[in-house]
This record gives sequence, C-alpha cells and structure tokens, in this order.
Amino acid sequence: MNPIRQLGDTTVGRLPAAARWPLFLALVAMLPFLLSGVWIQMLFFVGLFIVLGLGLNVVVGFAGLLDLGYVAFFAAGAYSLGIMTSPGSPFDLNMNFWLVLPLGVLIAASFGVLLGLPVLPLRGDYLAIVTLGFGEIIRLFLVNREDVTAGSQGLSAIARPGIGSFRIETFTHWFYFILVAAVIVGFIASRLRDSRIGRAWEAIREDEDVAAAMGVNKVKYKLMAFAIGASVGGLGGVLYASFIGFINPAAFSLQVSIDVIAVVIIGGMGSTPGVILGSLVLVGFPRILQFKATADFLSKFEWLRDGLNGIIAAADTVVPGSIGRLPAASEWGRELSDDTRFIIFGALLVAIMVLRPEGLVPSRRRQLEFESDDQPVPAGGAA
Amino acid sequence: MTAAALSVRDLGMQFEGLSALADVSMEVPAGEIHGLIGPNGAGKTTFFNCLTGFYRPTAGELWLDAQRVDGLPTHVLSALGVSRTFQNIRLFANMTAIENVLVGSHIHIGVGGTDVLTARRPSKYAALERVLSLRGAPRAALQGVVELAGAVGRPPAVRRAEAEAVNTARRLLGAVGLAGKENVLARNLPYGDQRRLEVARALATRPGLLLLDEPTAGMNPQESAAMVGLIRRIRDEFETTVVLIEHQMRVVMGVCERITVLDYGRKIAEGTPAEVQRDTRVIEAYLGTRAVKEAGDGSP
Ligand SMILES: Nc1ncnc2c1ncn2[C@@H]1O[C@H](COP(=O)(O)OP(=O)(O)OP(=O)(O)O)[C@@H](O)[C@H]1O
Ligand SMILES: [Mg+2]
Repeated sequence: MNPIRQLGDTTVGRLPAAARWPLFLALVAMLPFLLSGVWIQMLFFVGLFIVLGLGLNVVVGFAGLLDLGYVAFFAAGAYSLGIMTSPGSPFDLNMNFWLVLPLGVLIAASFGVLLGLPVLPLRGDYLAIVTLGFGEIIRLFLVNREDVTAGSQGLSAIARPGIGSFRIETFTHWFYFILVAAVIVGFIASRLRDSRIGRAWEAIREDEDVAAAMGVNKVKYKLMAFAIGASVGGLGGVLYASFIGFINPAAFSLQVSIDVIAVVIIGGMGSTPGVILGSLVLVGFPRILQFKATADFLSKFEWLRDGLNGIIAAADTVVPGSIGRLPAASEWGRELSDDTRFIIFGALLVAIMVLRPEGLVPSRRRQLEFESDDQPVPAGGAA
Repeated sequence: MTAAALSVRDLGMQFEGLSALADVSMEVPAGEIHGLIGPNGAGKTTFFNCLTGFYRPTAGELWLDAQRVDGLPTHVLSALGVSRTFQNIRLFANMTAIENVLVGSHIHIGVGGTDVLTARRPSKYAALERVLSLRGAPRAALQGVVELAGAVGRPPAVRRAEAEAVNTARRLLGAVGLAGKENVLARNLPYGDQRRLEVARALATRPGLLLLDEPTAGMNPQESAAMVGLIRRIRDEFETTVVLIEHQMRVVMGVCERITVLDYGRKIAEGTPAEVQRDTRVIEAYLGTRAVKEAGDGSP
C-alpha cells in the first residue's frame, strides 16, 4: 500500500513479498517436530535474543541512540515477575503470570523513560557511556538491595504461564510462546518503522536539529524510542525469568547488553532478517557447541588432537617452557563456547566489520548507503 | 498556512564577546519577498538561527503576527509556520528524496494522536517551570500511546493521511523539478537537486514564513535562474512570506520587493532594491572603505 517502502523489501528469490514471512514462519513452526529437546531449548534462547534484538533495534537502528545498558530493562522485566511471583521474594504476592506480564512491560517502559529523560541532550559516545552506567547501576541495585530483590541469593520457583488448565512447561511450548512474542514484536517494529514515527526517528538519527526544524518534537520521539525498546526488553525479561524459573543478579551482567547489541550490529542494523541471523550465529552457535551430540561428533577427531599434540610436544623440546596440550577432542566444543568464545567472537566481529560493515543481512536502505560510499558523494549531507 | 508577518525588535545575539547581531529591527509584511544581504560574517545566518530557535537571542523580541516567538523551541516554531533551508545543505542524507519531504509533512500526518504543543514562552524561572510542566506529562504519555497505537493499527484515517502526504510530497517534488527522483537517496542527488530538495522539504511544513539561506550558492547561471523562477512560483502558488539571504545581486535585485542590509551584525540600510543599490553605506560596506583600505595596505 505504501508506495515509499519499495525500498524496505529485500528481494529474495521470486517469492512475492507478502508470502515470504508467512512461509518462513510456517517452516519455523514445524521445527519442534523435527528436532530434539536440546535443539528446541537452544532455539528458545535464539528466539529470546531475536525479541531483545528487535527491541534494541528500535533504539539503535531506527533512532540512532546507542544504548549500552539494555540489560537494565531485561532485568526490570525479569525481576518484576520474580518479585511478584516467587515464594522466596520479600513480597510474596503470588500473582498470576498473565497479570505480571503487562505490568513488567510497563515497569520496564517507565525505566526506559527514566533513563531517557536525563540523557536527552547527550549524543553518540556520551550517550553510550551513560547508558552503560545505567545498566551497571541496576545490577548493583539487584545485588545490594536484598530487602527488595533477595540479593545474590536470587529468586526461585518463578511463576509459569498457563491457559486454563494447560500449562506452558515443555521446551516445545516455550518455543511456540517465544515465536509468537517475536512475531508480535517484529510486526509492531515494522509498522512503526513505516509510519511517521519511524521517519521521525530516522530524521533524528540523521540530523536532530534539522528534524526539529521540520516540526519533529525530538524529546517526544527519543523518549518514545527508549520506551518501546525498554518495553520489549522487559517483555524478554519476563519470558526469560518464567522459562528459567530462577534468577539472580549474575544473569544480568553487562554481557547481556553486549550480546544484544552484537546481535543487532552483526546482523545488520535496522534489518529484521539480520537480527534473526545475528541471534542464530551469536546465541545459537555457542549452545550447539555445548551439545553432547557435538561432543560425540568431535570425538571422532581424536587423531587430529594426537597429531597436533605431537607437533606441540616437538615444539616444546625446542622452545624452553611447556605450552601445554590440547584437551580431548570431545571437549573442543565446550572449550570453544566457554573461555575461548570471546576470542572467537571478537575475531568474528572484527572480520564482519571489516568485510561486511553493513552487517550480514543489511536492510535494503543500509545496503544503498554502503554501496554509495564507493562513489564520490556530492557535497552536502549532514554538514 | 497563510502568510505571516514578521516583526523584529532590537534583536541581539552575543557570542562570548562577539556581537553577531545588535539592535536589528525590521518589519516584513505578510506575503512579501524580503532580501537579506551583507558581507560575509555579517550575521545573516545567525539571524535565521535566532528565528528558528537554533540560537536563543540574547536581546530583543521576535513577533510572528500577533504572537511573541523568541525563545520557543525549534519544533514549536516550525509548527507555528517558520521553515527554513540551510546554507550548507543539511538534508537527511541517508533518506530518499520523498522521505525527506515526508519528514517535512510530519505534523500534518495525524497518527491518532496530536503533538503536544505548548507555544508558551518559557519564563525566567525555567528550571522551576520544567518541574511544574510535568503536570502535562500524563496527557503527553497518553497521546504518545494513542499515536503508537495509530501507527501500529493503521486505521483508515491514518492510511488516508499517509497517502495524502505521499501525494503532496510527489506534487512538491514535481514543483521543484525533482519528479522521477522520489526514491533516490538524498546524498546521491546532484548538488543543484539537493538545494531544490531542501526547498521542497521546507515547503512541506506548510510555512507561513519561509527562510531561504543562499539557495543559489554554488549553482551555475542556468541553475540559479531556475531557482529564481522557483522562488517566484513559491510566492505565487504558496501563501507564504519569504526572507531570502543571497549573495548574487542579480538574484536579490530580481525577486525581492524590499531588502535589508546587515554589516557586522547591524542593520545599515533598508528599502527597495533601487534604494539600497544607491545607498552609500551599502556601497561602502561591500566595496567601500574596507576594500579600499585593504588595497591601500597591500600597495607600497
Ligand atoms: N555558534 C557560534 N558561536 C560563535 N560565533 C558564531 C556562532 N555562529 C556564528 N558566529 C559568528 O557570528 C558572525 C556571523 O556569522 P553568520 O554565519 O551569521 O554570518 P553570515 O552573514 O551568514 O555570513 P556568510 O555570508 O559567510 O554566510 C561570524 O563572525 C561568526 O563567526
Ligand atoms: Mg551565512
């Protein structure tokens, strides 16, 4: 309907645009019939980070506000549910999940506005630093205010949702639950992007003073972006807490913020397929490395380990001091996903930023932007 | 919007020690094309920045029709009808031509809610007032939610408003000579097209007072002739007052009904093109004493 959005559609094959998403979702919905439990659990986390990524994308991708404290809203949602439903919480309210869900989203949204107000005049790097601090403040609050959050002891037996007598319990149930959440969030985000709100965000990202001169109330739209992003973060938090059933402050470290922003950037800012792929690579892959099936598969490479260890042993005799030996091949996957994970992903991140700075699946617009970087840009732009 | 009358009273703009504008007064009646000229650094762009809320004037008053508008935030001034282009082109470089124009239409696309517009000027007790103005916060939040719901739900009214805005944008792009370039990224347009796109974007806000900052800068003679034609058409087809900053005398003398001359932040002359051209102070400012003195310094 909207003639100006011909841009937004990436052309994948010859499928008509309207059929692509339903088809993709139908295929995804069949996965539980094909895959075993651990895979579905892995996909739940992928779905969770897709939800979070889509939310943060509104703030970072659409409005251009670099928010490094996204974990704060995730925590707000999770702790809303924890505090209001866990029997171990200082206020054991024993509330129903469905009641807390909108409450948690609302609470997270108010945190978003709360963070948004003081940082309104800040731009770029300054904004990033302040939001980073905000995330840390929330984590410290969780650790130190034991009278509210039960501190590092954590909250357990958090409520799970049910519909009538049906309870959402198994990995498969949760998989569908997160799928529905992701579809709703994705739909909302795309509708917002194609509205005057989305254009106002983009204009603010490009040049906020000029946007204001064109009638855009930048205070309002920046707060709106923060609120939307925070609500989605809160939603993710509620779902995560309910799925896991136990939360403590350790789960809400800076690492979560970094993971979500990496999902957004690696996938390609502003692009939904990018967020999906980013989440698969950054969240799905490390979990796959930890599977027993992966360990079994890798154990076939014991000969390779022996060979490499032989070379290392040879090197040891030449070079003074011992280098150590490779662990059993079946352990490689786990080792990779634990300690070495950060090195690998750091390298991956650098590689992607060098080779494909627009992200793995850039939005059509970003693609245009990066393509035209190769040509001499006519004078002008945001001067 | 109907053309607005602009009244400037003793306007002053002081930058730590440097007085960029001092005691500037002028009256621009509704519907006039008014020229603003002066040597480099005279304070012309600063004047526009004061009018659009980019700078807050340090002295004097600005009136738009019967409303005092100095000190109002930029987006409110825009809603009151003040729109502008920029000397150093400032398009939304990574948005398409039509999207740039649609941002200009922003406040005319109702999305279920309306913008909260407090056209009240902040008082001296700004900090206190900011706290008190939280009174309006629930209403603003509610309207924000309504607007979000409108954008997500896309009821017929929103679809209609959006479609209308797209039509208007196409028409405006056609009017400035950019038909067929709707979906080109602004940064990829040739220089002259970028200048024209800025004009289309400014017109999309439906201005009552249009401020054009050197719209022909860097253009070749044919392009600037086309721009002059465009400015005339704007006067005829859009109801708006125009203030035009311009260095090319041919353009200023050709389209402006009256002209104000600034030099070192002060108004040194005002009148019809013919009067201004004869004014000795203007001649001096442009090529008079200073130029003569500089030439004198250079010679042995
Ligand atoms: N933000 C600012 N801070 C300090 N000084 C400023 C600022 N903006 C403008 N000035 C100074 O005010 C004076 C007037 O500048 P302005 O840009 O208004 O000149 P102008 O008449 O538009 O000149 P030009 O024809 O070169 O565009 C200049 O001396 C400039 O350095
Ligand atoms: Mg200037």
